[in-house]
Amino acid sequence: MSYVDAGYSIALATLFVYAVTLVLRRRRWERALHMSEPGVEPEGAPAHGDPS
Amino acid sequence: MSAVTPRTGTMTRRPRWLTVVGVLGVVAMGFTVWLGLWVTPPDEFQGNLARLLYIHPAIATVALYWVGLVAAGGSLLYLWPRTRSLFWDRLAAASVEVGAVFAALTLITGALWGRPVWGVWWTWDARLTSTALLLLLEIGYLALRRVPAEPAIRARRCAVAALLIAIDIPIVHFSVDWWNTLHQGGTFIDPGFQIHASPSMSWTFLLGFIAFSLLFVWLLGVRYQVEVLQDAVGDQELEVSLSERWSEDTELVGAAASAPAPSTGGGAP
Repeated sequence: MSYVDAGYSIALATLFVYAVTLVLRRRRWERALHMSEPGVEPEGAPAHGDPS
Repeated sequence: MSAVTPRTGTMTRRPRWLTVVGVLGVVAMGFTVWLGLWVTPPDEFQGNLARLLYIHPAIATVALYWVGLVAAGGSLLYLWPRTRSLFWDRLAAASVEVGAVFAALTLITGALWGRPVWGVWWTWDARLTSTALLLLLEIGYLALRRVPAEPAIRARRCAVAALLIAIDIPIVHFSVDWWNTLHQGGTFIDPGFQIHASPSMSWTFLLGFIAFSLLFVWLLGVRYQVEVLQDAVGDQELEVSLSERWSEDTELVGAAASAPAPSTGGGAP
């Protein structure tokens, strides 16, 4: 691999990975914000009034 | 698309313009890579190595000037009492994190160009050293931001730190003029703004700047949204724990009031 190929690959791959990480972080915090709302049941928990 | 928290009214929008900027950035980047690797001719002296110069100066421009402008500007506006808002603090913090990525890429792409052209991966040249110092200072800023504190205290502390980091930016910029460095000064555009390159090379060079600048704006926008969401979750959790504590205290007071009064006689007649 030439220096040029290495330079382009590293720059583009780093930016791509960082962008994906940011999007995943945003999604995780959105979910955390939703879950921290009072009255929101955790996913998978039976809803109020459901027969157990 | 937006995420809305009905109780606090906190809204973290995903504005359409940000998506448009991201898409434009990816398209511009695609064209830059295509032109830079396959369309432009090899340089007269550097051969194919000159293709690295379609990305390295553009990345360095973002790392230095765009990040410096947003981080220092945001911090100043936060510290200025009339414009004080956590918006500026969050924007500066988002900028510094994105800036650290771009500063690291500046050093890596520079080293990949320097090894075949200069013969060394690294040298303690003023431009390289001051850029590495910028990266270290940005990492320090991010560490400082993780130190637990009240939002206002953290914001003030980080704003001062960002302004101290900003001192390094003119040092990086003028290092090639102030010291005798291995890193060359401006070679593509001279002080008279005369461009010394073929049209295809010039357009690719310009497109590289646009592509990385657009990507910076998109990354900054998304990172800012993460910052807003983190603060909103922190506020929400604090509010919930305070209300729980309040209800516990109320129950204790109620229980104490309804309990029978202790006998004082101890069986005395």
